[in-house]
Amino acid sequence: MKVNQNCVGCAQCAAYCPHNAITVFGRASINRNCVECKTCVDYCPLGAISGDE
Amino acid sequence: MKAVIIGAGLGGLLSGAKLSKAGYEVEIFERLPFTGGRFTNLEHKGFQLSTGALHMIPHGARGPLASLLCDVGAGVTIIPSEPMSVIRNMAGEDIDFHDFRKEISLTKRVKLGTVLAYSLKFKPKDDISFRDWVMKYFEDEFLLRLADSFCGWSLSLRAADVPAREVLEIIDNMYRYKGPGIPLGGCGAVTDALCDVIRSNGGNIHTSSSVERILVDNGRVSGIFVDGKEVSADIVISNIGHMETTKLYKCSDEDYLAKLGKAKPSRGIKICIASDEALLGHSGALFTPYAQRINGINEVTNADPSLAPAGKHLIMSHQTTLSDNLEQEIALGLDDLKTLFPGKEYEVLMVQSYSGGWPVNRASSGSDTGNRTPVGNLYVVGDGAKGKGGIEVEGVALGVMNAMREIL
Repeated sequence: MKVNQNCVGCAQCAAYCPHNAITVFGRASINRNCVECKTCVDYCPLGAISGDE
Repeated sequence: MKAVIIGAGLGGLLSGAKLSKAGYEVEIFERLPFTGGRFTNLEHKGFQLSTGALHMIPHGARGPLASLLCDVGAGVTIIPSEPMSVIRNMAGEDIDFHDFRKEISLTKRVKLGTVLAYSLKFKPKDDISFRDWVMKYFEDEFLLRLADSFCGWSLSLRAADVPAREVLEIIDNMYRYKGPGIPLGGCGAVTDALCDVIRSNGGNIHTSSSVERILVDNGRVSGIFVDGKEVSADIVISNIGHMETTKLYKCSDEDYLAKLGKAKPSRGIKICIASDEALLGHSGALFTPYAQRINGINEVTNADPSLAPAGKHLIMSHQTTLSDNLEQEIALGLDDLKTLFPGKEYEVLMVQSYSGGWPVNRASSGSDTGNRTPVGNLYVVGDGAKGKGGIEVEGVALGVMNAMREIL
């Protein structure tokens, strides 16, 4: 998954991530636990996360 | 009559509850998978964190939000904060908010009484900021710091960025409605209760439904376009702020657009921490005028232990974001916590920051444009259209009341 410039760091993605794969410190960063389930995409209020194409 | 509401945040849900109670057929569309917007719970490690606002209602059980909840029949228990609020002074002692005058000289104390009484009655008409107002009459380091701490905690702004008359309206409201309270079950209990009211009045709430267009015919809204179909409506209420709303239809009112350009969203940082022992020991707000960045802190588990796992406390701090270097702003906030709670053990659960398109407030206090739009039956509610002197969600409630007075 990729995080774009729209991210403000609200951490909604991190709380809903079922794999504990997102840490947030001013903005979201996605770690190795990510399995590309894309749950975070729907929970981001700013459309800041997209899949690796 | 049919009302379509865009966005299931607090403003949208309050409007939906009020309109459905008045007999309107209500349909709400929310693009996120859950309701409540920036006023609901966010579960993390067994703690009830929040999507946006802290679990605190600024004017508690007697304020505008509480009275609107009561009016629509939303069952929410609000526990009054006790004490109302506390100030950590320069010496590191916690003093009751009402005793803040003891921190200034006797001369200034006397002057404060008369200046405040006069200014509450005759609010400054010009755009003097609250900081300049404090400077003009008192030139006092403690009062300036307290002004920043208070404006930061309640509006996520520096005192220099809020008009003095807006803060004086807030002080008026504090006398009128009294101090804060904690909603039992957190912010989510409030928005969930409103969803229940809307559904029991026959309304529908759709989540994961993104409205693509507002349909306007001859200066009147006829409906919206969502999920590949048209939904007709007699009125449309938007809870997504004025600016975002204009992106959903062709708005050519230059004066209105220019006014919107001036509304500045406010930004802020919330740090959520967990502790085995109580760090504050009360359910009021702790103002921290001498911290580098943090404006205030609360410990909601003293009012509602269910917001954390058994035996744990949930503490949240709020700070205005003062620079564009967000990492540094957060680091200063974390540093403040170490200084405020020396020798205490706690865990940082989550750091959340808000700005731009997902801010603390879409229109910061004093830059609100009201509920109306250039389209007659299209209204905006929420934190982009608050009422005068309303702190955060109280402002959202006052704004909804204003809009409902026009509609009903």
